[in-house]
Amino acid sequence: MPSDGIKLAPALLLACILALSLLVGLAGRTSKGAYYLVSGPSVGRAGIGAAIASNWMSAASFLGIAGIFYLQGYMAFAYVVGWTGGYVLLLILMAAQIRRFGKYTAPEFVEARYDSPVARCLAATITILITLIYCTAQYKGIALVFSWIFGLDYTPSLFLGTAVGIGYLVLSGTLGASRNQQFQYGTLILCFIIPLMVIAKKLGYFWVLPQLGYGRALCELGRAPHHLSLAPWTSGTAYEWIALCFTLMVGTAGLPHVLSRFYTVPNLRDARWSVVWGIFFIGLLYWSAPVYATLARIAQGSAEMPTDPEAARALADLIVLKAGEWAGLPSWLIGIIAVGAVIAAFSTVTGLLITGAGAFSYDIYYRLINPAADEKKRMYVAKGATLVLALLVVVLAVNPPWLIAQITAVAFALAGNTLFPVFLLGIWWDRTSKQGAVAGMLTGLAVTFGALLLGPLVPGLGTALPATSSALIGAPLVILVMIGVSLATPPPPEEIRRFLAEEVHAP
Amino acid sequence: MTDTPPPRPVPNPDYRVNFFRPRAGYLRQKVRYTWVLLISWAFFTLGFQFLLLLTQDTPEGDGLITETILFGFPLHYWFSGQFLIVWFILLCFFFNLFVDHLTRIHRKNR
Repeated sequence: MPSDGIKLAPALLLACILALSLLVGLAGRTSKGAYYLVSGPSVGRAGIGAAIASNWMSAASFLGIAGIFYLQGYMAFAYVVGWTGGYVLLLILMAAQIRRFGKYTAPEFVEARYDSPVARCLAATITILITLIYCTAQYKGIALVFSWIFGLDYTPSLFLGTAVGIGYLVLSGTLGASRNQQFQYGTLILCFIIPLMVIAKKLGYFWVLPQLGYGRALCELGRAPHHLSLAPWTSGTAYEWIALCFTLMVGTAGLPHVLSRFYTVPNLRDARWSVVWGIFFIGLLYWSAPVYATLARIAQGSAEMPTDPEAARALADLIVLKAGEWAGLPSWLIGIIAVGAVIAAFSTVTGLLITGAGAFSYDIYYRLINPAADEKKRMYVAKGATLVLALLVVVLAVNPPWLIAQITAVAFALAGNTLFPVFLLGIWWDRTSKQGAVAGMLTGLAVTFGALLLGPLVPGLGTALPATSSALIGAPLVILVMIGVSLATPPPPEEIRRFLAEEVHAP
Repeated sequence: MTDTPPPRPVPNPDYRVNFFRPRAGYLRQKVRYTWVLLISWAFFTLGFQFLLLLTQDTPEGDGLITETILFGFPLHYWFSGQFLIVWFILLCFFFNLFVDHLTRIHRKNR
């Protein structure tokens, strides 16, 4: 990491935007407090869609996809397609039904559907694990961007970024600032697209809609020697592409903090329609990310930078910033991209830590350890858990061996192997029993962590079951286990089956 | 499951929820449409990748599709990177239109 001192303009920009979003949050303050994801007064379907998108956009979207595209070309589209196509699955199979259950979190849904404290506790544990893995990727992004802004090494940047992040969380929590998701989406997408237009203009490509016009740049890259190969399977086989894409799709449909989004919408019909807007708003970012990587390659080529694989890998997760540098953008304009990345990562970390801490304080501490705890005590435990989780993530993020998008994909594999089957069968097959759900979640945990930990050790396992893509085999396997165990055990109580048929699947 | 389970009250078939055997009326129509969408979702997303495999001339996947240029892009880049997102938006749009329609009919009937 080149340490060439603090970049003043980006640092000031970061401080200004953080202060501004705090002010906007204070202006839209609600009485419900920061521990609920409130979307404020009626904002229309497009507004809810923007909230879905801003909730979704993280360092993985902002930095990660461009990084993967820079290194692996076509393989990156497995992420783009997976992270948008997952919303189709979510909408057509689960969104409305889970909302009808009226449960705000994954553990609450599991308890309501399966009537089992064990299943609930497992779902809470899985939620916390997903939080940890997902946040590790965000922290890596925060640390990289902070090291770029402040000219520090990776580890000090990680600590600085964590301190600023927690400080911001505590400050907005004490002041009672709500998150204005529409404002945030607007800021993020402008931070991403305006510098991209300038880069495209500087390099002489169609700049009005660079998302539509980078084809020429791509074809030029394909013709130049020692550059990005445009063939689809150069950086991974077709099996790897499909496995990754499928994993990210089912993971999206099972991710706890995505699901909880649907409860903040006043009615079911608006919730459904807002998904259409949500995919469009997310798509705006995903149409643009590959452009960054393509133009970075072009700019890098013309500046004759070294392109050996090790150096390229170290650069990949910062490629959106490097694209600006190589194209000769002024420092403040690159700073805008950096600020966008930090805000995306901060807000994702906040949302996830609150979800994870809630799972601990309510589903594990209150329901299992200390049922006598009052509201105040639970809040206290939740705040403590937030801090502990944040510190755990820092430890995990000190030396992550993978790219941001790859770490995030592991969290999706976990969600796709555990929560997705539990939601899917819970909604679409009334016979699914609690024993089936518990067995399914345990199998899913075993598959995910087996692929992650044993993959490098057992020959052949890493090829069949890549850690980032284990749900192509994992999710169907878990579904089969759940069906088998459910058929061998007593059916769930009649009232739950009746509720499922009469309420959840009612017109 | 060959051994006979202990006798237990058989639930009224009307309360059954099964994606593969949905009860008649609202649910069956909705599930039918869900199938159409799931198939078009899978066909376009994963089917295209199989098409790439089928038409490839080299192990890297170069072939007829990758040499075709559409809107300035190699066809596979245009399809996966640009068109599929549009396709997903359309799928969700049509699903919502259909569910709105279905809900209107069945709420009126009740």
